Amino acid sequence: MQLTFLEYGILLALFVAIFSLVILIKKTFKYGRKKLRSEPQGRELNGIFYAFGQGMLPWAKESAAKHLPTYIGGIFYHAGLFTAFFYVFLGLFRLPVSGPLLVIFQIILGLGILFGIGLFIKRISVSTLRKISCPDDYCANVLVDIFIVLALLDTMLGGIRPVLSTITIVVLLYMPAGKIRHCFFFFYSRILFGMFFGRRKVLGHKHTEGRA
Amino acid sequence: MREDPIQARIENLKPEDFNKAIKIFKDHINQDYAASLDSCVHCGLCAEACHYYLVDKDEKSLPAYKLSLVTKIFKRYFSFMGKKAPKWIGAEDFDKDVVREWIDSLFGRCSLCGRCFLNCTMGINITYLIRTARGVLATMGLVPTGLQSTVDTALEKGNNMGISKDDWLETVEWLEEELQQDMNDPQANLPVDRKGAKILYTINPREAMFFPLSIAAVGKIFYAVGESWTFSSENFDVTNYGLYSGDDDAAGIMSKRLVRSVQELGCEKLILAECGHGFNSNRWEAPEWLNQKYDFEVKSILQLVADYLREGKIRLDPSKNPKKTTLHDPCNLVRLGGVIEEQRYLLKKSVKNFVEMTPNREKNYCCGGGGGQLAMTRFAERRIRVGRLKADQVKATGAEVVAIPCHNCIDQFMELNKHYKMGIEIKTVCEIVADALVI
Repeated sequence: MQLTFLEYGILLALFVAIFSLVILIKKTFKYGRKKLRSEPQGRELNGIFYAFGQGMLPWAKESAAKHLPTYIGGIFYHAGLFTAFFYVFLGLFRLPVSGPLLVIFQIILGLGILFGIGLFIKRISVSTLRKISCPDDYCANVLVDIFIVLALLDTMLGGIRPVLSTITIVVLLYMPAGKIRHCFFFFYSRILFGMFFGRRKVLGHKHTEGRA
Repeated sequence: MREDPIQARIENLKPEDFNKAIKIFKDHINQDYAASLDSCVHCGLCAEACHYYLVDKDEKSLPAYKLSLVTKIFKRYFSFMGKKAPKWIGAEDFDKDVVREWIDSLFGRCSLCGRCFLNCTMGINITYLIRTARGVLATMGLVPTGLQSTVDTALEKGNNMGISKDDWLETVEWLEEELQQDMNDPQANLPVDRKGAKILYTINPREAMFFPLSIAAVGKIFYAVGESWTFSSENFDVTNYGLYSGDDDAAGIMSKRLVRSVQELGCEKLILAECGHGFNSNRWEAPEWLNQKYDFEVKSILQLVADYLREGKIRLDPSKNPKKTTLHDPCNLVRLGGVIEEQRYLLKKSVKNFVEMTPNREKNYCCGGGGGQLAMTRFAERRIRVGRLKADQVKATGAEVVAIPCHNCIDQFMELNKHYKMGIEIKTVCEIVADALVI
């Protein structure tokens, strides 16, 4: 399997992204974690299960329930991003995507673009979002949108691999520098969330009277 | 016009003060906080979780905005991009303007209720990060005056109301006489400093000053059970405003006093009065502040009384409380404390007509009185304004009585009751239980 110059670039960018993220994680963990002394009331593990299961459902989380289009948009946007990466890496291994799988890819990528652009429009048009946004937020959104658009175009038209590879490299290199780094921090934050509320037995409890 | 001491202190801040503050900020951060400070994706979905934002619609009240005030400093001084391209990622220098905004937003627009934490898509503990930033302000001497005074009084006098030992003992004596008359039993007592008692019971000093009926109610319940319990003559204060000022050292000193009393009196359990932040402080945070695993049990009085009822140690007659009653869920007791069902269990057995607020339990709205807001007069007008949400919530239930297991919340409700003409009766859960007791 002979890789092109840009494909080597993707692998190198992937290495840089992972390496930088590892450094970032190491730096974060260097702050240290204090062992908790208070007697737990519930199990941290239950909280973690809740955080990644029931706790992700819109009816369990008011912020999602009140912003259902954004919540659904976020899901498809991220699905589009992951699909685009998957598509690029299948290409690296010369694994062709065709037939129904290709159609599924195109639908997910299409929805990803739709919601990605929608979220961008929301960010620039809603004053509360502008208030909390910085250039990184807009840049990350635009970069990912372009990436998904190019992936979709490549599935439909073909022949734009070099452009897709280039934007893949840019996205990968930007990952540890900007907000896309939440690809790691999301999981860690949700674990901490689950541990906190699981330990204190706040979430996912049955509304039983008496002893909770 | 009197000069605002905080403003004067801000004006006098020197570059070395900021350098020191940054160092302290770093010392306060652990890996969980560092990860959280790097996690916000600015989705803004937390907006409606905050009662300040829901009422005011002020962008400065957005939880994500308040968090950004903290993250921008973290990123500026402790991240690669923040050092190289601060504006790109929203990082900013720590200066007088930021300090002013920290005070206004982190003290004045947040009651540390944890509702944004519960609703954050990422699961960021915004509440404790804001508390951490408050801690930095505390080390700079920039805690709003009323809140700092409450902490100082507790440190100097042993309780946050500055009640002398003599006055406390006199109050207990008077309440004991009342109990004896009420129970028609000259042996009924409210013990103080009884060595070897199973339980050390603590109170919110406001009870001794303004709401003695809630102390009497617990005394009556203990009497009905025949419990082995005691007050401490020295360390009876369950409150800990160090939780709100962010000052871990001060908070540790206050909590240590209770630990010392439990040990000196040889008690097995530390039972905390109906006080939300007192519960969170002493049940969950104090062992961390003191870096000490407790060798005794710490419980809310609600958990203990629910145990009594389950074990058949007390009997209740709900017909003694015929009025329609609802329940307020204090943030520190419920959302951050995990005491959720016990108060419901007790009320359903104590009142004839119990009705829930919507939303309730861990999803309940803050009344606006937490986070030290009641002590910070400079934000009083804002506190009453955002309390409208709670007033509307109560009115919607049509209840005549609100059971409130927290004295901070009670104080806020009393003001809301007047301001929003709610026309409600305010009681603690134990007062309602005591009224329903069959002795």
